[in-house]
Order: sequence, then structure tokens, then C-alpha cells
Amino acid sequence: MTGDATVRAAPVSVGDAIPPLVVTPGEVQLFRFSAATWNSHRIHYDEGYARSEGYPGVLVQSHLHGSLLSQTVLNWAGPHGRLRRFRWQNRAIAVPGDTLTCTGTVTAVGVEGEALVVEIELEGRKQDGTLCAPGAATVELPSAGRFR
Amino acid sequence: MSDLVREAATRCRALVGSGGSRPLGVLDRLAIERFASAVGAGADRRPTSATGRVSAHPLHVPAVVGWTGGPPTEGLRDDGSAAAVVDELPLTGLRLMGAGQDLEFHRTIEEGTAVTVETTVESVELKNSSTGEMLLLTFRHLFSDDQGQPLVTCRESLIAR
Repeated sequence: MTGDATVRAAPVSVGDAIPPLVVTPGEVQLFRFSAATWNSHRIHYDEGYARSEGYPGVLVQSHLHGSLLSQTVLNWAGPHGRLRRFRWQNRAIAVPGDTLTCTGTVTAVGVEGEALVVEIELEGRKQDGTLCAPGAATVELPSAGRFR
Repeated sequence: MSDLVREAATRCRALVGSGGSRPLGVLDRLAIERFASAVGAGADRRPTSATGRVSAHPLHVPAVVGWTGGPPTEGLRDDGSAAAVVDELPLTGLRLMGAGQDLEFHRTIEEGTAVTVETTVESVELKNSSTGEMLLLTFRHLFSDDQGQPLVTCRESLIAR
């Protein structure tokens, strides 16, 4: 598919690792995410309140954990990839300054018509290895016949 | 706190299976761009459809907590929240935390889409954790457009303790 940079040129195999997404959310990103989702919970911007609840600082939003995991998949899939399913769980907290590394591994690949359907297991971990957010995605990639 | 959790469990369990439908509003380009920026999905990664309309990040609609202007500041809870789905549940005095979502995407949501949600309380479980008893609440949100076309099915978990 010469000239179409949006079509992945490489085949996909079970066991493939997708490129990790490494993010260190700061207070500004948390503020912008709270604003964009109209989430006024103080746990995400009021450090005194967060400490009164026993946390070391304001918390990265549960949906931001999920959004970063999903973005890892979307970056890999490219603009013509389509997320069919996505799930994540919040298992541990993260605070501004924590570095979150989102990784994924292909666990299944199938063909449905002209589409390649890929299953991916995901993890979002902090710099100390703590698993903050496990997840999984099903991605549809266009035109399996175009893979070389 | 444990008594509070158990009382809330009893009251919330009576609501399992109940729910309702409500219009949320129109998703505009500014909101879509702001969410994408906040997530770090820059403009170069935002797909634009053949119609010229910008598509929302798949997690945008299920991540929005408030779809209205909300109450005045003095009308918010002490923790600053004003989530409608929670306000309708008897959880006063408990701390709430998101626990994740399971999402099925039916179609791409473009700017200008009028979004409606139908929410059902699916389950209420009383659980033990290292910090004591807690409630695991699961909701099913079906987001649709104004033609009734399904957009996203979202199973959302919340922890109350």
C-alpha cells in the first residue's frame, strides 16, 4: 500500500510487545484531565484533603490510568486501528511525579473478513514495579490482506 | 465505618436492576480537543473523519463525570464531587473511588453527537479488604446518540468505603 503511511507494514504475532508509553503525570495534567471530564473531586487537586484521607498526595484519576493504557494501544494501532473493546482495573494509586509505564503484549491474532483482530494484555506500572492498572484491549486493524 | 458500609450495602442492593435514561448533551469539538490534550493524544494523533468532523478519543465519553454545569460550588459534597449516578445512591458518608471500566465500542463518536445514557445498577457486593469492609458497585451505562444508535457500552466499577 505504497503511499499510505497509515497502514501497518509489519505482521502481528502472538507474543509481540507493543511500544510502551511512559508518562509522568504532573499536577497540571491532573488538573486538565479533571477539567476536561468535569471531575471536581478534591482528591485530584487538594493535597491537604488527599493527605487527610491517608494518601501521600493528590491522586491520578482512575480514568486517566485507563486513558493512558488505551492510548498505548491507539499509538500502536495507528489512526486506522479501531478499538473494539477495552477494560482496565484500578489496583494501586499513583501521585504526581510517579512515572507510569504502560506496556502491552499481543495474546491472540485473528482474521475477520478483511480485518485483523488483535487481543492485547496491558499493564500500567509505577517506577517501583507496582501494578497500578491491568487491562486488555481488542483492536481491529484494517485490511489483513495488506499485511506483508 | 463498617456499620455504615453494611447499611449502605443493604440500601444499595434494593436498587439493583433499577436505573434510568437521560440526555447528556452534545459533544463539541472543543471538549474533544481538550480531552485529547489532557490525555496526551496530540492533534497529530486525533483522527478526523471523512466528514471533516473530529472524532472523540474512545475513552472520552465514558470518562466524563459531569455533563451539566452542575450545582453551585456550595452545593457540592464535602469531597468536591457531584456525580449524578452516585447522588442517586444511598452512599452518604462513604468515600468513593473509581475501580475501572469494561468498554465495548459500537461506533466512533464524532463532534456534534448528541449523547444519551441509560444507566442500570448491576450489582452491589460487600467485600473485605486490607483496610476493612467495602462495597463494590457495578453500573452498566449504555451511551447512545439521539437516533438511538448505540455508541459505547460501559460497565463501571466503583468502590465505596
